[in-house]
Amino acid sequence: MIRIAAVGDLHYGAGSQGILRPGLEHLPDRADLLLLAGDLTRCGGPEEVEVLANELRGLPIPVVAVLGNHDYHAGHEGEVRRVLEGAGVQVLEGEATAIDVDGVRVGIAGTKGFGGGFRGAHGSDFGEPEMKAFVGHTRMLSDRLERALTELDADLRIALLHYSPIETTLEGERLEIYPFLGSYLMAEAVDNAGADLVVHGHAHHGSEKGRTPAGIPVRNVAQPVIRHAYNVYTLNGRRQVKPVAAEGISLAPERLSQEQ
Amino acid sequence: MSERADYLPEHIREKLIHDPRVAEQDLKVDVKEHRVLLGGNVATPQLRHTMTEVAQELLPGYEIVNETTVVPATEPDGEEPVS
Repeated sequence: MIRIAAVGDLHYGAGSQGILRPGLEHLPDRADLLLLAGDLTRCGGPEEVEVLANELRGLPIPVVAVLGNHDYHAGHEGEVRRVLEGAGVQVLEGEATAIDVDGVRVGIAGTKGFGGGFRGAHGSDFGEPEMKAFVGHTRMLSDRLERALTELDADLRIALLHYSPIETTLEGERLEIYPFLGSYLMAEAVDNAGADLVVHGHAHHGSEKGRTPAGIPVRNVAQPVIRHAYNVYTLNGRRQVKPVAAEGISLAPERLSQEQ
Repeated sequence: MSERADYLPEHIREKLIHDPRVAEQDLKVDVKEHRVLLGGNVATPQLRHTMTEVAQELLPGYEIVNETTVVPATEPDGEEPVS
């Protein structure tokens, strides 16, 4: 059994020193690795992430993170990443890592992800350049996530996101902001590649539990949702959900683009 | 500050989001008469206090009622088997 601890949306900044560390005291006895689902800082300032790095440094279990929208705000996301890596945290963006836990290879593919909405109401990369850029960003990150998950050689595979891939874990949020909270494109990527668990944050007023359309468990670990320093999810050491084979359905992209 | 009352709460919310001392998007702002109601979740007691101060700077003379909740960061009670 593999024990995954996860939390997101820590929003570290001035005055955060010492907030998390007491809650991590027994973490090494309770989990095999810790996942951080983005928004680790308030404004993405290197001085903010230093405070968090000091609390994570020296943890005796692997820590893997993605960044969130707050971590990009100051435009220093590269420095935020370097500070975290200096504290021993692996930071993923369209990348994957595999960690050996008692002989079980646990693979994690991570991306911040982005918005757009959900099936039946997703934005299209059509019209103004700004709209194309918005949806195109989500599509690019989702494609990278699918590739990273597909190429993972692991017994268990986890997708680590900041934005949500499904609507269910947004329940509690205002419907008007769903397009800014996530996109089904990430769920499709995960369902195509196959995974055992998806973890995300970002939706502070959302719900903890949901599943992708193919049935992969999704957990919203935003700290305002779980209301603890982290939650722990256990997985059997063998893959439960296989990639879903396409059922002979194919679209003709050229024809579709002509019809637009 | 001269604002149409209809848009004042949203303008205050935007200013709080963009003030680096606050920078919190998980905010609800309501203004009734000369009272400002703040709601949502914050990570620390200090941030909650700062939020009140910044709102007071934005609207001197208004009463600031801060109903935000500080999110606990205690250890979890147990674990959940997902597979």
